[in-house]
Amino acid sequence: MARILEIKNLKISFRTNNGTVKAVRDVDMTLDKGETLAIVGESGSGKSVTARAIMGILANNAIVESGEIFYDGKDLLKISEEEFHKIRGGKIAMIFQDPLSSLNPIMKVGQQMTEAMILNGKANQKEAQKEFAQKTRQLTEAIGSASSVNGDPKQSKEAAEKDMEKLRKFASLSNKMESEYNTALDYINSSVSDITDITLDMVTKDKKVIGRSVEALVPKLGKVFNTFLVDENNSGLKELAGKIRAEGKAYAASGKGETLRELLGEARDILTSSVKEDKVDFFSLGYFLTYGSEKDSFDYKSCPIPELNAKTVKCAQEDFLNGFIDKVASGLKYSYEDSLAKKQEALKLLTEAEETLKDDSIPAAKTKELGKTLSKAVERSIDRLEISKDSTAYTFAGAYSQEEALYDKAKSLENRNPRLLSRENRMFRENMDIPRYLENIRRVVSSMKNDYAQLLDKAAGGEEPDFKAKAGEMVDYLKEINSRMVYTVSPDMARDRAISLMDEVGIDEPRVRYNQYPFQLSGGMRQRIVIAIALSANPDILICDEPTTALDVTIQAQILELIKGLKKKRQLSVIFITHDLGVVANMADTIAVMYAGRIVEYGTTDDIFFTPAHPYTWALLSSMPDLQTKEKLEAIPGAPPNMITPPKGDAFAARNKYALKIDFEEAPPMFDISDTHKAATWLLAPGAPKVEMPKIISDRIERMKKAEESGNAGK
Amino acid sequence: MQESNNNHSAHLLEVEHLKQYFTVGGETIKGVDDVSFYVDKGEVFGLVGESGCGKTTTGRAIIRLYDATSGNVYFNGQRIVAGTGDLREALKAAKKEGDSAKVSRLKKEIAEAEYDHKHCKRDTITKIQMIFQDPIASLNPRMTVREIISEGLVIRGVKDKDYINKKVIEVLDMVGLLPEHADRYPHEFSGGQRQRIGIARSIVMEPDIIIADEPISALDVSIQAQIINLINDLRKNMGLTILFIAHNLSVVKYFSDRIAVMYYGKIVESAPSDELFAHPLHPYTRSLLSAIPLPDPHYEKTRQRITYTPALDSDNSQEPEDREVSPGHIVRCTEKEFEKYIKELGV
Repeated sequence: MARILEIKNLKISFRTNNGTVKAVRDVDMTLDKGETLAIVGESGSGKSVTARAIMGILANNAIVESGEIFYDGKDLLKISEEEFHKIRGGKIAMIFQDPLSSLNPIMKVGQQMTEAMILNGKANQKEAQKEFAQKTRQLTEAIGSASSVNGDPKQSKEAAEKDMEKLRKFASLSNKMESEYNTALDYINSSVSDITDITLDMVTKDKKVIGRSVEALVPKLGKVFNTFLVDENNSGLKELAGKIRAEGKAYAASGKGETLRELLGEARDILTSSVKEDKVDFFSLGYFLTYGSEKDSFDYKSCPIPELNAKTVKCAQEDFLNGFIDKVASGLKYSYEDSLAKKQEALKLLTEAEETLKDDSIPAAKTKELGKTLSKAVERSIDRLEISKDSTAYTFAGAYSQEEALYDKAKSLENRNPRLLSRENRMFRENMDIPRYLENIRRVVSSMKNDYAQLLDKAAGGEEPDFKAKAGEMVDYLKEINSRMVYTVSPDMARDRAISLMDEVGIDEPRVRYNQYPFQLSGGMRQRIVIAIALSANPDILICDEPTTALDVTIQAQILELIKGLKKKRQLSVIFITHDLGVVANMADTIAVMYAGRIVEYGTTDDIFFTPAHPYTWALLSSMPDLQTKEKLEAIPGAPPNMITPPKGDAFAARNKYALKIDFEEAPPMFDISDTHKAATWLLAPGAPKVEMPKIISDRIERMKKAEESGNAGK
Repeated sequence: MQESNNNHSAHLLEVEHLKQYFTVGGETIKGVDDVSFYVDKGEVFGLVGESGCGKTTTGRAIIRLYDATSGNVYFNGQRIVAGTGDLREALKAAKKEGDSAKVSRLKKEIAEAEYDHKHCKRDTITKIQMIFQDPIASLNPRMTVREIISEGLVIRGVKDKDYINKKVIEVLDMVGLLPEHADRYPHEFSGGQRQRIGIARSIVMEPDIIIADEPISALDVSIQAQIINLINDLRKNMGLTILFIAHNLSVVKYFSDRIAVMYYGKIVESAPSDELFAHPLHPYTRSLLSAIPLPDPHYEKTRQRITYTPALDSDNSQEPEDREVSPGHIVRCTEKEFEKYIKELGV
């Protein structure tokens, strides 16, 4: 499975009036595609803070002391707020605990659902336009430079420019056609759903209301015509629309709906049958219509779509794309080699910088200067034509400047009188840790250096990417952005999508709910709306922060089933935060048990439930009764430690009856139990006394195993 | 005119056809609709159901936080709650019919009920105490723990400071807090400790019965077990009777001797707890039980949730009634369903 998210030694503190609260201390975890990771722990264990760090919504007084959260080649802790806008909600979505407080009370449900869709649609379009222009420009330059090696630089540049001009020209025609197609398709979908509405409403609603709905439908029917969808002249929809209008008026007056119903049914049949499964390859069609040799003799409008696609694709391939791909490949090769050379330079600078930074008393001005040169060198060395941005080079500048800013600030405050500082600075000065800031800078630089050293080693070993394949990818990528450029989300379309989403999350009568306010819905329904909103942007990762804690059992079971189903259907990766082990058993593939800001045990669901190893996990498992429990519960004594001064050793030692002497002195490292299972407790250290887990758990595990063998699980 | 009816002193607490309606915007909402049950001395009676089904309202009507619409509640044989709604309806009908004997009888009954409801002795009522769900919202932030705990004693007229002090320290010790905690304010405590204060407040009055309204659902996992154990210990040591209201079925099962399942203001099934979990009969009870998540991953993967749709799963041909299918196991069902259940149990 592909790794989608990786958290590395994350450390987060909160500045408060009483001191720094160390909320998350050295957390490592990974999330694969389609996997559910559950984070279990009590309040204050840092599970929500970790989730919020992933979403980039930490409170203002939070300090990210160190760590990385890698997603899509970017370190989420280091990227700018603008870059985060594209990820937050769109790629990583979150469901909060209280559904009422995460919905706007004075906005209708439907409005809240469509708002982001429409805005996102617009932003996506702009983004795609920018990207297309940029990529084609860079490509031209690379192709030009590549062919100028063995020819006249000026001429080769012009040739490349010409090719690109050709691409832009037919791409814009493709765009226009595709956009028309999409709009018509929108109107078809929207009309069909309107017709369904009207026929349903005819049973219950007032005839005048129906009259008005019919009135609103007719103009929509006039906009569905498109060469590849509904034929304007032959389908007969035009006449039908006229008839429907007249009949609608008659219905509003008399209330007799037989003919109207028939007409609407007819219109719906025409519309639904006109949408074909095959989609036209507009990119190739655009080329065919602009440059194709038989474009005038061939009647593309009446040709069946598969045939048409075959023809246009062939034409575009033979005439243009094959040659073009070769050229692109040469451009990519040039760009790759160029960037290798620049990487070499950057590596040299990085190695030098590493040396310089070894000096502990390095002045802040020096690190600043160093950062500028390094950032520039790294920036220059990036291969601009790479499609998948999976290198740390993209976030190097941001990471460096963030660490350097801290060091800079610390240095400037070092010798100042604390009484003359502003409140904020004074608080910063009280908690500042200059060696650590410097250490962080060193780490950023050395990790970048190692990355590049590895990469160059590989390249020197004769490993060269397949440029032809890469060029194919590049062309596909351009095609994809091209079609994204024309993908508008109209309010009508957003409404249809919202309603189908509401249907998907199990809200009955979505059309009615669409126009209601959050307070009119029950708790379970509200949580479904929140889930639907989170899903509306088609995220890769869904973070659920105690989504069912405020709900009761039956609703909880429904919501969990819903999330599980959606996860399967959409290949979602889910981070599920909860304190209820029953819920976890249902949902999770992997479980991380957190206590006092650390992960104390990490393993698959079976590992945690059948062979728990950490005393805290034991305590959690034994503290809740299940349906068979009769004996006295093993309550965990005391309360979680104060995280302003976390205990020196194992944080759980004070409440742990199995604690060893060393637990109070030194924090235990993670001991591997199996490939998937590890726990941080000294009980696992070699030479530790053997301790059995509490009887209440071993009994339960025994029971679970027996029940499973007899094929009667849980009873 | 205190009624000393022997019929009602068999049980410690007896709820009889209790109805609690609310009027919201001209509409009548039936929060609790004709609920009857009893709680015997020393037992724990669990009341479960989804949110909004009226379980908390029942608890609050019993301790007279609301004025019941109709029905009676007897405690130690004394009528402490008497609603007159149904009697008045009957009176109206009787007047229309012109049945004068009935009219005068009903009038007398209404007068009696009103008298009982008004003149219910405070000493009796203080023997019922409540533990609330939210330990933060249910403690007055401006009162010290001592004031909070002793307030009931003071209201009852205890003036001896030394006695009050002794009593406060005694109950603090019982709930696992220290004497020095008495002079602190609620905000200085953690959630679990606050709930302990809430429990101390209720046991200082030496109650016969405690109504525990979701006492652990607002607490942290590791604290929940502490509070469960605490309530369990108190129950054993003090011989308490508890009316336990909760939606976490595992906890209710752990605690209760008998359980009643509520659905939309009505009790649909009540039985001894083992019996209820072993042979759930009403389709709603089955759906509720099938929704319990258990800490067993393999079971969870196979768990099938049963859904309950009243229109499909219940026999709607006639009004259901409470029928006893086996000793102590009462299901609200129609004649036809009753026969079906008997058959199921027989096998």
